[in-house]
Amino acid sequence: MTGAAAGRAALGVRLGGGVWIFLGPALLLMLAVYLAPLIDTAVISLHPNTPAGIDRSHWTTANFLRLVDTYYWGVLVRTLRVSIIITLLSVLLAYPVAVWLAGLGPRGQTWAILVYMSPWFVNAVVKSFGWTLILGNNGLVNNGLRALGLIDTPLRLMLNETGIVIGLLPGHFLFVLLPLWAALKGLDGNLRWAAMTLGARPWQVFLRVTVPLTLPALLAGAIINFTMNMAAFAAPALLGGTRTRVLSFIAYQVNLEELNWPFGGALAVAMLVVTLGFVMLAQGITARGLAGPRR
Amino acid sequence: MVATAPAGLEASSLVKRFGGTAAVDGIDVSVRPGEFFTVLGPSGCGKTTFLRLVAGILTPDSGRIAIGGADVSQAPIWARRIGLVFQNYALFPHMTVAQNVAFGLAMRRVPRAERGPRVERALATVRLEGYGRRKPSELSGGQQQRVALARAIVVEPDLLLLDEPLSNLDARLREDMRSELADLQHRLGITTVLVTHDIHEAFSLSDRVAVMRAGRVEQVGAPTEIYDRPANRFVAGFLGPVNEWTGQVQRVQGGVAEIMLDGLRTCRVAALPGSAAGDAATVVLRPERLALAPALATPAPTMSAAGALAGRIDQVAHLGNLVNYRIALDGRMLLAQALPERSGALAVGTPVRLSWDDADLAAVAP
Amino acid sequence: MKRTLTFFNLLMIVYVVAPIILVVWMSFTPSMRFEVPIASFSLRWYQELFSYDAFIDSAWLSLRLGLLSALIATALGFLAAYGLVRGRPPGSAVLLGLFTAPLIVPAVVYGIAMLQFTNLVGLYGAFPALLAAHVVIVLPFAVRTLLAALEGQGPELEWAAMSLGARRRHAVLLVTLPLCLRGMVSAFLFCFLISFSEVTVTLFMAGPAHQTLPVRIFNYVSDRIDPTMAAVSALIVLVSVALVLVLNRLGALGTVRK
Repeated sequence: MTGAAAGRAALGVRLGGGVWIFLGPALLLMLAVYLAPLIDTAVISLHPNTPAGIDRSHWTTANFLRLVDTYYWGVLVRTLRVSIIITLLSVLLAYPVAVWLAGLGPRGQTWAILVYMSPWFVNAVVKSFGWTLILGNNGLVNNGLRALGLIDTPLRLMLNETGIVIGLLPGHFLFVLLPLWAALKGLDGNLRWAAMTLGARPWQVFLRVTVPLTLPALLAGAIINFTMNMAAFAAPALLGGTRTRVLSFIAYQVNLEELNWPFGGALAVAMLVVTLGFVMLAQGITARGLAGPRR
Repeated sequence: MVATAPAGLEASSLVKRFGGTAAVDGIDVSVRPGEFFTVLGPSGCGKTTFLRLVAGILTPDSGRIAIGGADVSQAPIWARRIGLVFQNYALFPHMTVAQNVAFGLAMRRVPRAERGPRVERALATVRLEGYGRRKPSELSGGQQQRVALARAIVVEPDLLLLDEPLSNLDARLREDMRSELADLQHRLGITTVLVTHDIHEAFSLSDRVAVMRAGRVEQVGAPTEIYDRPANRFVAGFLGPVNEWTGQVQRVQGGVAEIMLDGLRTCRVAALPGSAAGDAATVVLRPERLALAPALATPAPTMSAAGALAGRIDQVAHLGNLVNYRIALDGRMLLAQALPERSGALAVGTPVRLSWDDADLAAVAP
Repeated sequence: MKRTLTFFNLLMIVYVVAPIILVVWMSFTPSMRFEVPIASFSLRWYQELFSYDAFIDSAWLSLRLGLLSALIATALGFLAAYGLVRGRPPGSAVLLGLFTAPLIVPAVVYGIAMLQFTNLVGLYGAFPALLAAHVVIVLPFAVRTLLAALEGQGPELEWAAMSLGARRRHAVLLVTLPLCLRGMVSAFLFCFLISFSEVTVTLFMAGPAHQTLPVRIFNYVSDRIDPTMAAVSALIVLVSVALVLVLNRLGALGTVRK
């Protein structure tokens, strides 16, 4: 018998429904302030918007059909493009970082990870502000290059997709790095030696042993990274400028400037569905884990 | 220290299921007041579940538990007046030794003035005077064990429940704690139920032992009783290696069965209840009861006429004070345990003559 | 090989921390423009900062919001984690999924939902609504941290306490809770950190009356650019880094990884 089974019986029998005394407060909060608003928004997205406000007596799918309008479609494609670029770059950069981390001592790893995590825990607005100081026309990079006489006109490093990619990548990098690092550490070190005794060179070991065995973790991390990129708000808003808008900023404009809540709701629902779909995909990959097909 | 008369424990038709499987499947056990009673069995046999049912950590699906005559089947754990000692001791790491021991007194609303002296007494009982201000983490495993005991007995429980209390100690310490535990139980006269998988622990501590398998009690009895007269093959084998013969009951008379062993010879053993002529029978013999002598030596006069069988030593293992032999006999192997000969153990290949006293044989249920 | 890796990682580290370091460095500039101070340092923008009532108000708001939401979320999180670990009621997985959903559901989506919902129930721009939203946002961190703390403890200590006559509430208060203290502190600090850094949901639902520090900066970035912003940002960085160092010491950062 397991401890879990005993635990269930102990509390379940003694308290009966008493377990809900413990779960009740958090559950009530989540139902009232989380699920209810999300459901309300989903309902609003199915109503037409009229000059007099939301027409709750009629139902429509028009808000969702509008998502494929040329303008919004373009925004969606840009959001996808930027997100995918960031994820691909993160994956490429994560391997050398993870391998380096795994080679450090325990203390060194802790600190290095802390450094790589720092962009995540420092406020996105603050970071973006920092990036404007670096990437702007009078920023550190352009001033530096001008002082060196390498350029005459400033490079456009922000207020475009480049700016979004540069600014967003570090903040979500850890979602690729940490699972990969954990998978690397979990690898049986003898596998390397086994492969080498069989005549494999280090790079062959990396490509034929390390990469395949860490792929599930990497993939799961990459998907999470991708959904974070899709949903990011402050950094794209500040670094993308007025012409390079992404989905989340359009959602801000529609809801807070145009006050078109049914359409804003449709945007929210679309983002939610896409995100949950990808997260489930990632969970499927993680659940299959390293037990998945191997070579 | 125990002011009231010791209480007994009665468990009847106790059943506890987890999912589809019954961890405890109809247990009837009666522990006498003041007795040291052990529930012995392999891991997964349901002995821990049984203990948790008695403690009130779990509630039975059916059946009845009575402590000191009072039905406590549905009583919550805190109302059962039990002392519980865990395998990992479960000392409160954020409290001192004294605070640990005083916890139960505070919970049972013992007046504050009484607590100090009682904690002191309990610590003295387990020979830990002066350790009150230490934290559990500053103590050795054996000392932690004794604190757990002191914490359990200070509230003067009706029943002391010990869940594999010695299994986290190293071998030497375990020996010491075993005798200390026996001594303590004897002095306090507190009814004690021990759960263990360790046969030596069970035998050296207990007045009576219940052997469990797959949620059921297979046999209850004093240690020598269950060792020498195991009720069935499982109990016989679980308590130690046995030589086993199958045979047929020839006749039963006055509680004695005459059994033909594998066509080898007949023997007379105490009959199993209800056995009759023609039944298949299993007969066991402990290796230390199988006598052997080099075949070249003159036959020992004590050997029964029906006795001596000729065999050959197949394998020898020295245990220091004893020697284990495996002996080939008519295409099967027998085990024997003997004191070493003065000249050393018998060598592999030595022809030997085997004999036993029929009184050492036991007929067991399959 | 090893050298190349180390060199690459040094570049990478410079890249990821550059904006953070720069903001802090820039906040000490004596000049009116954004110039990296090299020769002379000045605290004038910090002094300037304290004359902006708006920033002071925002700082207080962020502080109040962070402390209150962390307090409530830690309490709710402990109860919920306790119920999940010791009770394992039917649907535990679903409940845990619900409690940690704000980690997955994009903040923009929840922000839109709260904007529309608070208007529906007439609480738009009200502090209690904003506080409730922050509790929801930080709750996953409290639940996860305390789940880990409780799972590490096992039920035996509570059983021991209860066998000695303690009722469940006494066992929880006298044994479980004191032993979870580290987890409670971690959960509280973690929640505060997350609330303190929250921008998106707050921006959508808070209304003009409740601009937290990050929201204030977000709104200022477009029209007013002076090094005061760097000073505010540097203060935020300082608070975040301090909290993270404490959390790291408490071993609480592992919960991010899952």
